[in-house]
Amino acid sequence: MASELAPTEIVALARLIDELDYYQLLHLRRGASISEVKQAYHFSSRAFHPDANRHLSANLQAAVATIARRITEAYSVLRDPGRNKAYLQHLEAGHGVRMQLSEARAEAGRRAVEQKGRTPQGRQYYNLAEAELRREDFAAAARNLQTALTFEPDNEFFKAQLKEAREKIR
Amino acid sequence: MGKVIGIDLGTTNSCVAVFENGESHVIANTEGARTTPSIVAFTPSGEKLVGQIAKRQAVTNPENTIFAVKRLIGRKHDSDEVKRFSSFAPFKVEKSENGDAWVQVKDRAYSPQEISAMILSKMKDTASDYIGEPVEDVVVTVPAYFDDSQRQATQDAGKIAGLNVLRIINEPTAAALSFGLGDSQNRKLAVFDLGGGTFDISILEIANGVFEVRSTNGDTYLGGEDFDQEICSHILNEFKAEHGLDLRTDKMALQRIKEASERAKHELSSCEETDVNLPFIAADESGPKHLTTTLTREKLEELVRDLVERLVSPCKLALEDAGLRREEIDEVILVGGMTRMPIVERKVVEIFGKAPNKGVNPDEIVASGAAIQGGVLKGEVSSVLLLDVTPLSLGVETQGGVATKIIERNTTIPTSSGQVFSTTEDDQTVVSIHVVQGEREMAADNKTLGRFDLVGIPTAPRGVPQIEVSFEIDADGVVNVSAKDLGSGKSQAIRVTASGGLSEQDIESLVTEAEQHTQADRDRRDLVELRNKADGLVYSTERTLEEFAENVTAEDRKQLEAAIEKTRASVKGDDAVALRAVVDELSALTYKMTEQLYAELGGDDTE
Ligand SMILES: Nc1ncnc2c1ncn2[C@@H]1O[C@H](COP(=O)(O)OP(=O)(O)OP(=O)(O)O)[C@@H](O)[C@H]1O
Ligand SMILES: [Mg+2]
Repeated sequence: MASELAPTEIVALARLIDELDYYQLLHLRRGASISEVKQAYHFSSRAFHPDANRHLSANLQAAVATIARRITEAYSVLRDPGRNKAYLQHLEAGHGVRMQLSEARAEAGRRAVEQKGRTPQGRQYYNLAEAELRREDFAAAARNLQTALTFEPDNEFFKAQLKEAREKIR
Repeated sequence: MGKVIGIDLGTTNSCVAVFENGESHVIANTEGARTTPSIVAFTPSGEKLVGQIAKRQAVTNPENTIFAVKRLIGRKHDSDEVKRFSSFAPFKVEKSENGDAWVQVKDRAYSPQEISAMILSKMKDTASDYIGEPVEDVVVTVPAYFDDSQRQATQDAGKIAGLNVLRIINEPTAAALSFGLGDSQNRKLAVFDLGGGTFDISILEIANGVFEVRSTNGDTYLGGEDFDQEICSHILNEFKAEHGLDLRTDKMALQRIKEASERAKHELSSCEETDVNLPFIAADESGPKHLTTTLTREKLEELVRDLVERLVSPCKLALEDAGLRREEIDEVILVGGMTRMPIVERKVVEIFGKAPNKGVNPDEIVASGAAIQGGVLKGEVSSVLLLDVTPLSLGVETQGGVATKIIERNTTIPTSSGQVFSTTEDDQTVVSIHVVQGEREMAADNKTLGRFDLVGIPTAPRGVPQIEVSFEIDADGVVNVSAKDLGSGKSQAIRVTASGGLSEQDIESLVTEAEQHTQADRDRRDLVELRNKADGLVYSTERTLEEFAENVTAEDRKQLEAAIEKTRASVKGDDAVALRAVVDELSALTYKMTEQLYAELGGDDTE
């Protein structure tokens, strides 16, 4: 199944490619789930993968190849939850529509570390809080999260969790 | 529209399949075999032999019989792999002008691309004979773990062979395609491919006709050849201990032992014990020496234990990169002749925790899948879409010689990634970029793909110019680099300052040469046919003269005998034109004679 776009539309899309963010490229909303990302990517690939478009003129093939490369670039970043979040932040901070995969990966890695805590004590109190959250003992969880935050005052993830726990107590 | 073929260009064996009527079929060669040894030999009389006939004469012509050239393709002469290869190869491996490993045969050096092209040509001829018209369009497979220069070199080999290479695809991916075609089930596969020279492991997910490779790993220098060498060394050591003779310097003996080692390895896949018998392997003052020994499977498994251990870590890494636990793999598929070895199969079971699928032909499935991909590329199969990955990370050298990754391994291709470069000094107009491929931390430990200069940067204070370099990997896994000045939006000039392999020009001249060779080969074949015809004509004319001695006039007889003499003399020479002239003369005379005989005697026959 090749692209169903008209030739002029393919060329137009290829020219616009630097303006589109990864969600726009794959026709996804910003909060799309990983399985939606995958489905959208498979759908777009059926249309734009070079293998499906060899019958086109050289000119159009080049345009299709540009699109194919960029949708794969988008997929590589969006297919992983951590990278997906990092990209969203990158977009919202106005850092442009492209994000290097390695950058996204590194950012996702930093978040994973942050989530568990960077200091031994932070991690220890967070782990307690996590267990209490699972038991839905929000008051105890809030206490331990607060303690964790005394060791890591700028841990955004801890802060968000604390806010949530406090809301649940009310 | 011409038919498309798939070629599995193996280290040890090659295989060709054609895509027709919606299916792929493996094609047998003229000798009737469905795979062809990847061996090219140059005989003392200057003839070039490819395949089984080259293999058959290896013992008597070891220096000029080139095998396993795939282990050299796209590699530098100074690399460890090439050093290892040279220490065992009976033929000479030389360094080419650009540092690549080439082979030396008599007074001519051949690039591995050229030797591979000869094998590809043979496969092409096999297919053309079967189809009944020349084929051009082809999909060629390479090990998944091949790097950019090995892929490009393989592509160049195809060009030299006069083929239109539609696509280079990965061997395990091709196998998966053949395995999963027409299968509506969604599943996760592990393809384990251990061949004569290389080891690949790929993890794929098949869903609704989309074949998505999740990860791949492997070792491009681990295969049956290494197993054979272990056996070979063992036999050599044993012989030396027993007879005090080192056979390592005797190329012919070495070749015999190598072949016997491979045979023993095969036999030990189904037997517990096998005899190796090589009479007259050497001689000393006391007379001829014979090599006789027995090898058990147990001993073999002890010899190859380290090699088998090397299969484990690539599999683990592939699972990890795919983000899957081994329990999530639905099928493990075995590809490559070496997976017939019981110890290899046991290792697979140990790694994946399940018995492999036994339903596929490990020698043919790769070529078959390549032909299917050919069908996809020609638009004859529309249900299938292959999404492969790049096996190795792509990066650039940054401060302090560190390799900074730009596209990481196991990223789906075709893909691109942008990286912004700037200047480090005021008014700098040139920025150099060193592109590398590999997983090591330091750029120097990885493979250089190329060096580029961004030239003609407008003068500006340092750090101001913003040049976005786009690194692209196309669907063949081949890397391209382009650049754009973000300030002006214009494309930025790039100058390639170093790259490996053959240049466009080299390839073109090799194509011409190959074509000339084709002409020369054709001429030689014509001459052989002409000689046969001449011999036959001389024979039948003499018989006729004998039989109808009374009916032929003395005059005619004299003429005929003279023509026979001339033909006999000409058959010994190499001049096709002269031979044709005398053959024509003789056949005209013979025709005249038989016509007369028919007129005189024919009346009796027709009644
Ligand atoms: N029954 C067997 N037992 C053991 N080894 C075998 C058997 N049959 C074939 N082999 C070995 O398999 C190897 C050849 O396998 P195969 O033809 O799959 O490799 P290839 O495709 O040429 O190489 P590669 O894929 O590595 O480039 C040889 O080393 C051969 O000795
Ligand atoms: Mg193989």
